Amino acid sequence: MSEDTSHGDFEKLLEAHGIRLLNLSPGPSSHEKRGTLEKWVGEDRAVSVHGTTVIAVKFKDGVLNVADRRATAGNAIFYEEAEKILKLDDETLIAIAGSYATAFEAVRFLQHSLKYYARSQLQEMSLEGKLSEVSRVLSRSLPGALQGIGAFLPIISAYDRAQSEGRIFFYDVMGARFESREFGAAGSGAERIRGSFEYIVRTKGPFHQMKLDEALHETLLLLDIAASLDTATGGIRQYLPLAKTVTAEGVCDVPEEPLRSAQKALLKE
Amino acid sequence: MAFTPYDWQQTLRQKADYVEDRLREGSPVVGLSCHEGVLLLTVRRAQQKIFEIYDSLAFSGLGNQSDLEAVRQIAVDFAHAEGFQRSPTDVSIQRVVGVALSPAIKRGFSDPLRLPLVFRGLFAQLGDAPESDLFYVLNYDGEFVLTHRCGVVAGTEGAREAMERVLSSRNSKKAPKRDVAIELALEAWAVGRREAVEKAAGEATWRAVLAQAVETGALEAAFLERDSRRERPFRFLTESELKPFLPR
Repeated sequence: MSEDTSHGDFEKLLEAHGIRLLNLSPGPSSHEKRGTLEKWVGEDRAVSVHGTTVIAVKFKDGVLNVADRRATAGNAIFYEEAEKILKLDDETLIAIAGSYATAFEAVRFLQHSLKYYARSQLQEMSLEGKLSEVSRVLSRSLPGALQGIGAFLPIISAYDRAQSEGRIFFYDVMGARFESREFGAAGSGAERIRGSFEYIVRTKGPFHQMKLDEALHETLLLLDIAASLDTATGGIRQYLPLAKTVTAEGVCDVPEEPLRSAQKALLKE
Repeated sequence: MAFTPYDWQQTLRQKADYVEDRLREGSPVVGLSCHEGVLLLTVRRAQQKIFEIYDSLAFSGLGNQSDLEAVRQIAVDFAHAEGFQRSPTDVSIQRVVGVALSPAIKRGFSDPLRLPLVFRGLFAQLGDAPESDLFYVLNYDGEFVLTHRCGVVAGTEGAREAMERVLSSRNSKKAPKRDVAIELALEAWAVGRREAVEKAAGEATWRAVLAQAVETGALEAAFLERDSRRERPFRFLTESELKPFLPR
């Protein structure tokens, strides 16, 4: 019988079991491959799949996440039913943009990591702890990202019970974390619609005062604008986007019916 | 040190006696399958006795807290490493108990120079329906037994048999509803307790045994919910959920 030496650290547990994280393992193995990888630099966008635009905004009861369903490989549309908003746990959402392979491995790692911590240490990980865990995963993917391969950007949405409000955090590629007061966006369409967020806040009021249906309307409009400015963003016209909320009740899917009626109302305007 | 086969056998017997002595007065644990999920129930002193292992796996037992903790940690580690490397559905009670724990515990028990674990554990796996719920009882010597519908661990053979009699007498073909299962589990626990510890007390009713136990200890019950929408179907039943079942 061996003693626990991981102290709830999932990365240490995987190391102890000799399990490597795909696409997220710096060290000798990636150095060995560097020669091969260098040949891929510049070709990455053509060979690997990328998720495009994800949006998070606060609303009255928490945070709303909306994403289009498109994933691209270079200038090809690879998949039109991609899920880019995922549950980290019952109170935390992660929306991902960028390299699909790295992002999904990172999300799988994080989901296991949070559960492993809670079950092995007999206490839940704090929000601060979860955010640091995301930073650590991002920093692991940095060597690849610097070579132009596998970069991804997450947006974390959580409900903070201590403050009774939804909170949004976004990151840079090295793992630096920032908190947003109102909204966050990542992906190829995000930069192009940055001004539109500001315009909505200034003309219609802050997102955190909106009801869910109002916030849904504005975010779908933002996705539609992103799609009209960015070829990699699927938008809302052909495929129904994905929307999830995180509130005091936890993570919830926005059902198809209100999403479809918000989509229809927008397309009529 | 064991030098001859006789010495070796003698050592194992002494080890078993040592463990059985310490387990005798341990608080039993009842595992029971019901319509809404799997229930684990016991009465504890201060330390938590029921644990979540993985998405559909829970564990409880009696013995030294440090030994329960060692077993629990190995189970949690194995389940999470496997669940990540393959898939959460590849983590099964059979693999956790039969592959990860049983051989290691057996090796430790057979080594004459090592202290045996003072421990008897109950593992439960939630299935899609009550018929596919599984219970494994894992002993301090590494041996394990699979049961369906219910599983119990107690400090003595007599207590275990008495508890199983209670459960089998009421358990119809159809799995009970959750409230009926809690009531049944409480009765089985109290009967086991009376058999193991309070035999001398004579004919005390099971409710009286339970009432006395919860005065000095705390009722602990956890549930693996079958149709849970949460990421983790394991949860403890709250005080207010358990209060109606406690003796007034």
